[in-house]
Amino acid sequence: MTYDWTLWIVFILIGLATTLPRGSFIILGERASLPEGLQKALRYAPAAALAAIVVPDVVLVGGVVEVLNPKLAAAFAAVLATQVSRNPWLPFIVGMGVLLGLRHFL
Amino acid sequence: MSPSFREGAREGFRVFLPLSVGLIPWALVTGMTMGGVGFTPLQAMGMNVIVFAGTAQLGTLPLIAAGSPVWLIVVTAFVLNLRFIIFSAALARGFHGVPRAERWLAGHLLTDGVFATCLEKMLSHEDPRWRLGYYLAPSLWSWLLWQVFAFCGVMAAGSIPKSWSLEFMATIALIVLLVPMARLRPMLLAALTGGTLAVLLRGMPLRLGVIVAIIGGIAAGFAAERWQGAAR
Repeated sequence: MTYDWTLWIVFILIGLATTLPRGSFIILGERASLPEGLQKALRYAPAAALAAIVVPDVVLVGGVVEVLNPKLAAAFAAVLATQVSRNPWLPFIVGMGVLLGLRHFL
Repeated sequence: MSPSFREGAREGFRVFLPLSVGLIPWALVTGMTMGGVGFTPLQAMGMNVIVFAGTAQLGTLPLIAAGSPVWLIVVTAFVLNLRFIIFSAALARGFHGVPRAERWLAGHLLTDGVFATCLEKMLSHEDPRWRLGYYLAPSLWSWLLWQVFAFCGVMAAGSIPKSWSLEFMATIALIVLLVPMARLRPMLLAALTGGTLAVLLRGMPLRLGVIVAIIGGIAAGFAAERWQGAAR
C-alpha cells in the first residue's frame, strides 16, 4: 500500500490530538483544574479504547465473527506470554510465531 | 543553562536511565509496524517525530492501513492519550515559574515513564529551573531513544517479506498494554464492554461504533467502580 501527501495532514492532526492532552494542564498551569469525577472516568479511556481496537481485529474475519482463526489464537498466545514471563519480547515472538505457524499449516 | 538546571538534569537522567531501556522494544515494534503498513522511511519518521506517542501511533496504524475516515483516526488518537490530561493536571504545579515555550515543549514530550519517574520531585523541589532540568533530561533522552530505535525498526521491516504480516505486531503491542490494565475488575469490565460493543456495532455508519464502544466501556468501568465502592 502507498500513501499520498494527505498522510502528512493525518500525522499533524494525530500530533495535535496527542500533544493537546499532554500539554493541557502543564500549559494552563493553576488557572484550571479537573473535576474529580471526570478524572476517575478518564482512567478507563485507554482500556476501553485499546479493547475497541484489538477485539474486532482479532475476532472478525472479512467482517464476520469467526472464533477459530489464527489471529485470535495468536492474541491468546500473546496474552499468555505476558502472564508467564516478564521478557518484553516474548509476546511478540510467540504471537507472531502462532499467527504465521497456523497460517502456514492450516 | 543555569547551574541548578544542569544539576536537576543530571539527577533526572541518573534516575531515569535504567528505566529507559524499556522503551527500546516499543520503539522497534512501532518502527517495524510503520514499515509493515507500507510507510516509506520518511513517512514513518515523520509520524514518529510529529506524533511522538507510542500508544497513539500503534493504535492508529491499523486504522490508517484499513483506510478508516480521518476523524476516526484522530478521535482514537485523542482517546488513547486522554490519560495524559490526568498526568498533566498532576504535574501542573511543578511547572510553576517555568516559561510558556518550555511548557509547550514539556507537554509534547510527556510520556508515561517520565511522568512516573518525575512526579514526586516535580512537586517537592522548590527551584523551578532545577525541576525543569529534572523533567527535560529524561524526556529528551526518551525522545532520542524513540527516534533512533524506531528508525532501526523501520529499516528492519523493509527487509522482511509482506507475507509475515508485520502489522499484526501493532495488535500484539496493544494487547501487551491492555493486559496489565485489566487486572483491576472495573478496568477489565471497561475493556470487555469496549471490545464487545466494537464488534456488535461494527455495522454503524462512519465506524461510529468504535466511538460508542469506547464511551460504553468508560461508562461500564466507572459504574463498576461506583458499585464496588458502594458494596464495601
